Amino acid sequence: MPKLNRFKVKIETGDSGMEGPVNFCINNHKVPLEDCVGSTAEGQSFEGGFEVNSFAHSLTLVGPEKGNWDIKKVTVDFEPDAIAPYSASFGQVMLDETTELNIWKDPPQPMFDV
Amino acid sequence: MNFLNKVKTIFSGGTKEEESASNVPSVPASLEENKVENIKDESKQEETVSSVSAVENEGAIIEPPSREEHQETPVLRKVIQAPAIESNVFPESPDVLIKAQPSPSGDQCLFRVNRDLLKGHSWYFSGFESAAGSPLAEGLFGLGDVETVLVHESTFTLTREDKTLVDWKPLAIEVGKKVREILNEGGALLSEKILAEMPSEEEIRSGIQNAIDVEVNPGVAGHGGNITLLSVKGNTVTVQMGGGCQGCSAADLTLKQGIHTTFRKFVPQVGAIYDETDHAAGLNPFFQGELNA
Repeated sequence: MPKLNRFKVKIETGDSGMEGPVNFCINNHKVPLEDCVGSTAEGQSFEGGFEVNSFAHSLTLVGPEKGNWDIKKVTVDFEPDAIAPYSASFGQVMLDETTELNIWKDPPQPMFDV
Repeated sequence: MNFLNKVKTIFSGGTKEEESASNVPSVPASLEENKVENIKDESKQEETVSSVSAVENEGAIIEPPSREEHQETPVLRKVIQAPAIESNVFPESPDVLIKAQPSPSGDQCLFRVNRDLLKGHSWYFSGFESAAGSPLAEGLFGLGDVETVLVHESTFTLTREDKTLVDWKPLAIEVGKKVREILNEGGALLSEKILAEMPSEEEIRSGIQNAIDVEVNPGVAGHGGNITLLSVKGNTVTVQMGGGCQGCSAADLTLKQGIHTTFRKFVPQVGAIYDETDHAAGLNPFFQGELNA
C-alpha cells in the first residue's frame, strides 16, 4: 500500500440528499472533508479532498447522521507518493446512519502494450 | 531579675518554666507578628485536614472521574461496497490493441483485447489437448511455455509451465503477435462445440452448490472457514470466502488449488471462478474466524 499524499472525491447525489458535513474515515479516524465545493442535496454534485500525507489502510465515506443518502456516482482521485496518480469510480449506493462506503482502491497493476 | 528576686522565687516554690520564661529575651514586635501569622496558617492547614478526615469519616469518599464516563463510544458502522465502474483502457481504434497485465506474484498474466473473444461466457483450457478446434487457444499453446488459458469476454489469462520465470514481457510480446494474427484472419476463435454443449446457468448453479456442500465446505470447515456461492453468470462463477478463510494468507492457494479443481471436477464446463471476498474487511477477520463463521 503506497503512501497517500492527497485525495479528492466527487460525489453525485441521486434522489435522496443529505444535510450536514461530509465526513470520511481514514484508518478508522473520522474527519470532515476539506476544500468543499457544491452540495449533497438531491441531484447536486459535491467535491472535497484531504491532505493525508500518510499510509491509508482503509478509506471510507461516512453515511449521514440521520436519514438516507442516495449516491449516484463517486469518483476518487488518488495522489500517492512515488507512483502515478490514479482514479477509481463507484456506482449507485445508498448510505444511512449505520453504514459507510469503502472508497479505497489499490493502485492498478502495471500494464504494457503488446 | 536581680539576685534578691531570684532568691524570693526559689523560696516561694516558683516553677522552672516560670523561671525559663522569665529568662526569654524580649522579641521585636515585627517578628512577633510574623510568628502569629505562621501559627494562624498552621491552624488553617490543620482545619483543612480535619475537614477531609471528617468527610472520610462520614463515608462519602471523593473518587477521581472514571475514563469511561468521559469517552464517547464510537459508532460502529458497516462498511459496504459500491459497484466499481471500470474505465476503458483502449482508445477508439480500428486496429487490434492488446495490453498485458502480469499479476503481482508473476504466476499469471491477464491480456486485454479491444475485441470480444467469447461474449457472455468464459472457457478454461487446461492443456493443449483441450484446445483442439479452438484456433485462439491452439495458437497460444503452440507458443510453448503456456500451461493454461482462460478466455473471458474480451480478456484471456495465461499461466506458464516454467514457474521460475516472472518476467512476462518476452512471452507477452509473442502472445500479442499471435493473437493479432489470428484476429486479423477473421475466422472463428473458439470451437463451436463449446457454446453448443454449454449447460444452462441453473444446471451450473446446482452443480457448483453441490460441490460446495459435499466437498469444499466440509474441507475448509476444519479451519473455521466457509465458501458461499454468490452468483453464476453464463458459466462464470463468483464465490465469497467467509469465516477463517476471510483474510487468511492461504486463501489464494485454497481458491486456486482446492476450490477451482473441485468445481471443475463437479462441473467441467465452468469457466472463470472469481473470489469477491474483501479480505481486509472486518475486525481482524482471520484470527476471529470462530466469530465470523
